[in-house]
Amino acid sequence: MENAISVQGLAKRFAHREALRGIDFEIPRGSVFGVIGPNGAGKTTAMRCLLDIIRPTAGSVRVLGTDPRRAGPEIRRRIGYLPGELALERRITGRRMMDHFAAISGPVAPGRVEELASRLGLELDRQSRKLSKGNKQKLGLVQAFMHDPELLILDEPTSGLDPLMQREFLGMVEDARGRGQTLFLSSHLIGEIEQAADRVAILRDGLIVRTATVEELRAGARRRLRVLAATDPVTLAAALKPLPGLQLLDAERLGEGAGALEARFSGEVGALLHALAGIEVLDLVLEEPDLEEAVLELYGSPPGNGRHRAGEPRP
Amino acid sequence: MTPAARRPFLPLTGKALLDTWRSTLVWALVLLSVLALYLPLYPSMAGPEMEKLLASLPEELIRALNYDQIATGAGYAQATFFGLLGFMLSSAVAIGTGAAAIGEDEDAGLLELTLAHGVTRTQVVLERSLALLLRMAFLMVVIYAGVLALNGPSELGLDAGTLFQAVAQFLLLVLLGGTAALLGGAVGGHRTHGTAAGALVAVGGYVLNALGNQGEDLQWMHAFSPYHWALGGQPVANGVDWSAFWGLAGLNVLFVALAVLALRHRDVGGA
Repeated sequence: MENAISVQGLAKRFAHREALRGIDFEIPRGSVFGVIGPNGAGKTTAMRCLLDIIRPTAGSVRVLGTDPRRAGPEIRRRIGYLPGELALERRITGRRMMDHFAAISGPVAPGRVEELASRLGLELDRQSRKLSKGNKQKLGLVQAFMHDPELLILDEPTSGLDPLMQREFLGMVEDARGRGQTLFLSSHLIGEIEQAADRVAILRDGLIVRTATVEELRAGARRRLRVLAATDPVTLAAALKPLPGLQLLDAERLGEGAGALEARFSGEVGALLHALAGIEVLDLVLEEPDLEEAVLELYGSPPGNGRHRAGEPRP
Repeated sequence: MTPAARRPFLPLTGKALLDTWRSTLVWALVLLSVLALYLPLYPSMAGPEMEKLLASLPEELIRALNYDQIATGAGYAQATFFGLLGFMLSSAVAIGTGAAAIGEDEDAGLLELTLAHGVTRTQVVLERSLALLLRMAFLMVVIYAGVLALNGPSELGLDAGTLFQAVAQFLLLVLLGGTAALLGGAVGGHRTHGTAAGALVAVGGYVLNALGNQGEDLQWMHAFSPYHWALGGQPVANGVDWSAFWGLAGLNVLFVALAVLALRHRDVGGA
């Protein structure tokens, strides 16, 4: 399949900072791609390079089949962009603002702006300076979606939205995907986009540390395991210890002939069940994998200086 | 109909003008008030009173204020309005508009989103320069009409055609502060850069002219003063000076062209 975005060796050096140190990724048409990273990892820089707002120091970028640096304004009419630090004019109503953007990036289907606004519960006739942060973000989303562009580049799209609106946003992403639009999203929390994204790149200090599907991340993520068995904990621990991906946390004796065991587990569930086959299990809890933790671990993994260590609380 | 055919003509210029029309009207009223305050004083000041006033002032001050021609209606209009308050106020509007066009827009984070839409950087600079020109041209029309309206009652004896030429030349002078401010913003990316560049051209030109007026050995400074090019030939009395007119026009175009080049070749929004 043709790629909507294809990036090779993209690097960007600012006067005092290396924001991107050579990243590669491809986003096939019709897919949803997420980039996750802590603040300052280079997410915004990468997106700005795709829109020719800033120019790469090195590397090649192709967006919708052309180099954004050489493409004319036509290409940007086929893209919807939501900046990470969204700034809007203050003394203007949302409706007039949308009219203006429609005038330069249109055409916009009649009623499309109203439809998006009502979906997000946004009043279009209020002055932008009187809107809350969340409502400004909704205006930003409307201007990105309204001309039904082939490609949507959304920097921290859920920032400032309440949980209900975050869910509405995910619905908009689903609809866009359904129409064959391509989406490129960023977030500093994977939880905000894990349901939307087909593939995710983890970005840290200007480098992609991993690109994977959400399922792959989930499969590699550690889960919390708790086993209660009619066996003493030493036998229980001995049965489980050889399992790959198991890290014993705690084992305790619960009266005569019963024991409990807690562990962190990132291996295959089948192997776990197999290991437990000969044991009389009274209760078993295997929690959902913690994606945030998995991502945080990737932030701390090489290459790099390990500034973000696994298990450290999120910033 | 193709989508392109439905697209409005000069959308950025239209938006810039619409966004500022209220403040443009306020400036028009301010300029008219200044005219109404100064020009009607001419009949009472012309003649012996004026001679006495001029005799009491130090010669250096008269030269610095361009009051040496003040005894005629045209000289009075130029010295009190076009050379002083009118120049300062119009320059302030032009510099403010020019600095807002790119620098302030970028400071506020708005330019990034505009450029992500279906426009080119060249188009942004050119359309906003056009808006600057139109805004200043409107204020010049107001000034022209105001001076003409007061011409009879204030006994200035100005010729309407000559005055038109003078106002056109004056437009190019104040516009130069505006295009310099636009250029400063396009190069530096901040409103303050624009304001500084505009003020340098406007105030610098004024100061060079005032110093150049002081004597033969300082007269060379006139060559570097846009203010002197535009007003040194007493345009209100003598009409347009074509070399000054085209010089100022060319410099305005040059500033805009440099602004286009500057904005096309840099990152927007900083690090």
